[in-house]
Amino acid sequence: MRRARLWVMASAVTLAVSGGGVDAAEPAPGVLISRQLAEAKALSPGSQIRLAPGGDGQSAQTFRVLGIYEPTPDPMEISESKFKVRLHLPDMARLVSGPADLMAAETVDQVNLVLRDPRQASTIATQLMTGTPGIVARQARAAVSGAGTFVVIERFHLAIAIVTIIASALFLLALSVMLVDERRDTVGVLRLIGLTTRRVLAQIFLESLVVAVGGAVFGIGLAAASQFAINRYFQWHYNTALVFVRVTPGVVAVCLAIAIPLGVVASAAASWSLLRKQLMTLARR
Amino acid sequence: MSVIEARDLTRVFPMPAGPVTAVRGVSLAVDPGDFVALCGPSGCGKSTLLHLLGVVDTPSSGTLTVDGEDVATLGDVARSRIRLRKIGFVFQRFFLLPMLTAAENIELPMAEAGVSKSERAHRVHELLEYVELSKRADHRPSQLSGGEMQRIAIARALANRPRLLLADEPTGELDQTTGQHIAELLDRVNADGTALVIVTHDAVFARRARRILTMRDGVLVSEERVR
Repeated sequence: MRRARLWVMASAVTLAVSGGGVDAAEPAPGVLISRQLAEAKALSPGSQIRLAPGGDGQSAQTFRVLGIYEPTPDPMEISESKFKVRLHLPDMARLVSGPADLMAAETVDQVNLVLRDPRQASTIATQLMTGTPGIVARQARAAVSGAGTFVVIERFHLAIAIVTIIASALFLLALSVMLVDERRDTVGVLRLIGLTTRRVLAQIFLESLVVAVGGAVFGIGLAAASQFAINRYFQWHYNTALVFVRVTPGVVAVCLAIAIPLGVVASAAASWSLLRKQLMTLARR
Repeated sequence: MSVIEARDLTRVFPMPAGPVTAVRGVSLAVDPGDFVALCGPSGCGKSTLLHLLGVVDTPSSGTLTVDGEDVATLGDVARSRIRLRKIGFVFQRFFLLPMLTAAENIELPMAEAGVSKSERAHRVHELLEYVELSKRADHRPSQLSGGEMQRIAIARALANRPRLLLADEPTGELDQTTGQHIAELLDRVNADGTALVIVTHDAVFARRARRILTMRDGVLVSEERVR
């Protein structure tokens, strides 16, 4: 029989841990339980648990823990319970079928299929829908990628990033103007000593470059360190293996591509406005 | 040949309320080893004239030659080169670079002029001895007194052996005794062959010069030969 994965949420079943008591000739069916469930109920492979289809504990059946698994992180389930059990399809059907429902053992609402070749998902979904009227088949990944929530969040992140960059650029320019103005005497002295405008600008450009690169590297380092702390905190908070923040090479490249030119241009623009002033006004206070 | 020669120099500053003529038709020549004091009331155009002579500012009209070269029409690079090699500046507020030590401040113009490192080191040592601050070589300006900072500023101005030293109120921020020492140092600089042009309000200091030029309303109104 094809093996399929079904999920039974902790809120929908009654769990009871037992120390045994099952007929040795007919061992309890095996299940896999989530890490979170195992940790919370101190279960380990070999433990006996009782699962019921309803919260009242009626019609509970005994199962044997065969293994513990880490649930695939899913942002859509971030705030939901991580107490999950994987049962074989026949066991699941037996557990949830009511005595009045004669066809219960033959009834399944939803089945998740894991394909050996995920590229054929679309073809198989079409074949299933055309070959078996009444069945709706669709790709799980397509369903997730089309989820409006994540599209909105992604656009929101992009908007925040754009606003942050514009605000940072303005802040940086204002800061550069102030810093350069503080060095008015220095620039004036250098010009009086005999340094050309180009030479002073080159000096400032070099300094800006060093500061911009240093700042960018510091920022990336800070982000890398923060991502560890942020992930650890939220993974602990939500009890999940979901990765919340990830500083990828692409993110680093974008940071460098924006931060360095921005820093250099801001300093150069501020310096240029200063150097355009009369030489004596540079040194005169 | 004069170190510097100005003919009919005029400097007009365009202002919102109308143009202001700070220097009007000034002609003068400074010979090698000369010592000229520019005097006059505040706002009479002394500093503006000093800046014109120092190739810092550009005259609105007239001609200015430094070592026979007409500098009025030169570009930024050429004017910077003249300031670097031929003219030294000393200011009332010293204008030492705060992040550099005394020795590094003196060394900076030489480094910019392309002087070799060993020669720079030798010259810095020589100048520090000249201004009697050898023990302060590694001190930053914030660790020096006003008089010491002005000595270092004079040493820096002399670094590239300029033929002309321009000083704008060099004793203006110093007490009488320290100002006297700076005046004596400048006397020595002049005696060693460097032409001096100083702007000062101090009549006693001015009388150390060979000539005192008095300005009023942008015009040279008198010239007195002191010695």
